[in-house]
Amino acid sequence: MSFHHLDQYATVSSPVTRATPTARVLAATAIAVGTAALPLGAWEHLGILAGLVVLVAAAAHVPASLILRRLAGPFVFVLAASTGLLFLVPGTPLIHVGPFGISDAGLQRFGFVLGRASVALTAAVILVSTTSFPELVQALRQLRLPGAVTTALGLGYRLLYLLVDELERLQRAARSRNAGGGTTRRRRLLVGITAAGLARAFSRGERTHRAMLARGFVGDLPSLAPKSWDLGTALTLAVLIVVVIAITLSAHVRS
Amino acid sequence: MPPLLAVRDLAFHYPDGTPALRGISFDVERSERVALLGSTGSGKSTLLQHLNGLLTPDAGSVTVAGFAVADDTVREVRRRVGLVFQDPNDQLFLPTLLEDVAFGPLNNGVDSHEAIHRARAILEELGLVGVESRPAHHLSGGERRLAALATVLVSRPDLLALDEPTGDLDAVSRSRLVRLLTTRPETLLTATHDLHVAAALCERGVVLHRGVVVADRPLADVLGDRELLERHGLAAPLDRSGGAPSTRPSGWRRAD
Repeated sequence: MSFHHLDQYATVSSPVTRATPTARVLAATAIAVGTAALPLGAWEHLGILAGLVVLVAAAAHVPASLILRRLAGPFVFVLAASTGLLFLVPGTPLIHVGPFGISDAGLQRFGFVLGRASVALTAAVILVSTTSFPELVQALRQLRLPGAVTTALGLGYRLLYLLVDELERLQRAARSRNAGGGTTRRRRLLVGITAAGLARAFSRGERTHRAMLARGFVGDLPSLAPKSWDLGTALTLAVLIVVVIAITLSAHVRS
Repeated sequence: MPPLLAVRDLAFHYPDGTPALRGISFDVERSERVALLGSTGSGKSTLLQHLNGLLTPDAGSVTVAGFAVADDTVREVRRRVGLVFQDPNDQLFLPTLLEDVAFGPLNNGVDSHEAIHRARAILEELGLVGVESRPAHHLSGGERRLAALATVLVSRPDLLALDEPTGDLDAVSRSRLVRLLTTRPETLLTATHDLHVAAALCERGVVLHRGVVVADRPLADVLGDRELLERHGLAAPLDRSGGAPSTRPSGWRRAD
């Protein structure tokens, strides 16, 4: 199984991939936080931040079609979480849907939440498209995230591939014997495969732990020295953060 | 001078009571290359895991370079015994190959820059150039096996203990790995049921059967004893056509 398509732009040479992964994480976080901090109705400022994100995407050579495809998944959750705003925020009713009314204020808040989510999610999509998972974990370590979290992420990333491979092998073995005719049998098969997969994952974990002990593991996962920062990256990141703060503050001042 | 590895009356039962090792004794001298032969379930892997304290024996002892394996010596013992597991996927658990290879030195107190330097050097030595930032699932089976070997060679062990080192490899990868192992200076103890690999790598054979050492002789003698091999599941009893298995398959030569 290969997930290489997930971070395929990590190997494309661009100003974004030349920056350290830590700088990329900080930049994406700054844009997401700045967007979330915009006051309601600051459409102009949201537009400027969206323009900034589009510029970063262009600099990273990440095509719009890929960003839109990847936004689709998380956007479903954003829609599900924010649809209630249409009906729950009091204001002048615009449309009636059965016993519920959609107010102007509700519509505006709903739209703004979607806009904010789109900008923040786009920044996240650019980050994960241009940064490999190992680099992300390394960046999170450098940002002093708790060791238990980064260790779990690092080991989980590697073991996830093994687990999915195991499950695929089990599934193929079952299919090769014509398993799964009828809904009940398919369900039973799924339960069996999942249980066997979990049992294998458990024994894999135990064997991996032994392999770690054999190489001197005593409880702390040591990490390598992270990539060093260069002046250009530091300056670019500083400018980006200042711009985001300025946009957010000016939105608050104007509101 | 004491042997590099001394195993004395080693006994071990699995938690369900099944005996795995029953009073095993043998020595391995420095620079010796020993094949631990036995059919599946003979206790080879269990024995190897005792060599660096992963399993605790019910009775008997293991001594490595003068250090009896115990709680207070286990760190030193693990530095000296490089154990390569049967499945390289068990051994490659970090997001990138470089981190995996540097894992051992970092645990042994080597600083980060030196660990990276050593890891890169051993990867280059094993021909794994350009894959250091890849995760293990982006490597081929042969590369993965070499990578697992790199994760222990980087700590410069005295004893290299390999568990079925060529188990899942195709002919080309197997030949490459065997050629590489013949050039290594470390003392070698390799558990295998592949007699061709044993013949290419080792000069002495220790045969295990149901947790007991049933033969400990020069490998050529072991491989020439058809009855011994058949009795302990290392050769098929019905295969009478070819006589004793070849001790030196063509293309593989042990570095004497």
